[in-house]
Amino acid sequence: MTLKTTTYGPTRVTTGLIMAAAVIVAPPAPAQAQQRDTAQIPPGVELETRYSVSGRRAVAVRPFAGPIPLAGAIGQISGIVTQDLSLSDRYQMFPVPADLQTPGPVDYQAWNSLNLEFLVTGDITPTADGFLVDVVVHDVVFGREHRRGTYALPATGAPDFRMAVHAVSDEIVQWISNQPGMAATRIAFTRYNEDQTYDLLIVDSDGENLRRILGGASQLQSPVWSPDGRRIAYTVSEPDGWKLIERNLVTGRNTTVATGSELFLTPAYSPDGTKLAYSVWLPGGLEIMEADLAGDGSPRRVTDSGGDNMAPTYSSDGRRLAFLSTRTGQNHIYMANTDGSGARQLTPPGRNVEFHGPDWSPTSNRVVFHGSARGPYQIMISDADRPTLQVRQLTTTGWNEDPSWAPDGRHVVYSGAGAQTDGLYVIDTVTGTIRLLARGAKLRTADWSWSMAGSALSTR
Amino acid sequence: MIRRAAFAVVAIALVMAACSSNEPPPPPPPPTQTTTQPPVTDTSAEDARRAAEEAARAAEAERTRLRTVIEEVVLFDYDASRIRTDAEAALQRKVPILRSNPGVRLRISGHADERGSVEYNLALGLRRANSVRDYLVNFGIDASRITTETFGEDRPVDSGTTEAAYQRNRRAEFTITSGGENLVSPGG
Repeated sequence: MTLKTTTYGPTRVTTGLIMAAAVIVAPPAPAQAQQRDTAQIPPGVELETRYSVSGRRAVAVRPFAGPIPLAGAIGQISGIVTQDLSLSDRYQMFPVPADLQTPGPVDYQAWNSLNLEFLVTGDITPTADGFLVDVVVHDVVFGREHRRGTYALPATGAPDFRMAVHAVSDEIVQWISNQPGMAATRIAFTRYNEDQTYDLLIVDSDGENLRRILGGASQLQSPVWSPDGRRIAYTVSEPDGWKLIERNLVTGRNTTVATGSELFLTPAYSPDGTKLAYSVWLPGGLEIMEADLAGDGSPRRVTDSGGDNMAPTYSSDGRRLAFLSTRTGQNHIYMANTDGSGARQLTPPGRNVEFHGPDWSPTSNRVVFHGSARGPYQIMISDADRPTLQVRQLTTTGWNEDPSWAPDGRHVVYSGAGAQTDGLYVIDTVTGTIRLLARGAKLRTADWSWSMAGSALSTR
Repeated sequence: MIRRAAFAVVAIALVMAACSSNEPPPPPPPPTQTTTQPPVTDTSAEDARRAAEEAARAAEAERTRLRTVIEEVVLFDYDASRIRTDAEAALQRKVPILRSNPGVRLRISGHADERGSVEYNLALGLRRANSVRDYLVNFGIDASRITTETFGEDRPVDSGTTEAAYQRNRRAEFTITSGGENLVSPGG
């Protein structure tokens, strides 16, 4: 092994947006904040940096190699991996010069002269029912193989082909960044149609494979993924009343989890998949219950506060819930233990402010939600460890609602309208990069799945 | 300003309710003797026929008026289900008609403007519909005659984004589901 004198680490820094944003009216500045120079800041308004400078590693994907007859499939696989790494927003993707596209041993010196940090190469061989891909991440700076793995992929026409490639992409992200990826995921959402019916749709995280799971429902709300990605829970209104349904996507079978109330809304799975919290209309308003899916299914009451309590979301360790409550007369996000004890307001107080649609990060104690003073709404984040003290606003234009975290704890999907094209958008909370995921009016209440790599990936 | 807009909406709603009633047309007035008897030129018989026609028209107009009062929407403040003064006046007009027509069954649908969230607004719509139901029940209307439902923000009457449009959309609507064929006046 030859050790070069080059310093290891981010060699290239791309500048993300650095903006100071006036956040919603915050409580009187705490003592600590008063020590800052706040002369330029209007009273009651906390200023905060929205997006930080980000060091993105320089990465290139050399077109994967393999037998000539497989050229089409090989091109697809290379293309999906390259796009996935780009959509991860973690890397500065380098185009590969023509003279370095040839398969074979990696000339580290040549790649290093491009100021590249990591190079991805792959070799593909045919199998009876698809391919084997031997993928290697090279550390160009140190001039050595960084990680390597071999994975089986189904044929390009198979329904899970793209998801299997996405799973390989997430492995690469894990190897380079030691962080979870989000390529092997899907987003579930509803569409409200012109004819006043509702559809349940799903789409891959790269915008491909848009599919309608259910269509033409007279009422259908709040779809959420089970952690294993095999089930979606949602609520419907049928002639005999509202119901909380769990649909098995593999078998197509529906199970009624709860029925017999005037309204069911906003189910949420616990991270281990054994519990389903949801809101149900009881005399007086919505309250949160938790069904034990592993046991006899009997529900346990979580909130009992009056007003409406809804939109529960589990903390990443499954021990707490964040939810919307109107218990004080205003719409604020609260946190509590899963038995409802220890409730505490998360969002900052303020005149006419309101907050909706919380979703707890799967990797941290950050909670994303939407809110404002009576609209238009923007996407915001608060830290569960610093309740009521600060809010970070992610979006600034249009009308944005119902955010949901990706399993990488970095990207958020939400419904956007009024600024550009109506549809579902994905924002990278680190760089502020925004992309359109699905175009259309009234695409709503998106829920980002957990990683589906486990079921999509088969290692050899 | 808002109040005036609200009344304008009510007026429009009244007209629309009157025009858009999907009730089948009332049965024609009972055939008079003229259809079964040879033509009569007796002026007193002609007067009687005219009087009967007039009475039938008046009765139909009264039924339409009663229906319109029952179906008059009530409006709400932002993010609230409290019965306002103007809503209370509208509901107080309904109560005696509902009392004197015990066969009438009602469906109350609650609606919200687009602010909030889709799901929160479903709860808000239900809260509004139930608030109206509870008010009527408090004034002696049997709860079993009333069903409630919510459409949240999804069925606006005004797709605008002004406060006036939002006010029109924050409402409870009333549909007579049965027993509305022969409404009688509270006094009669």
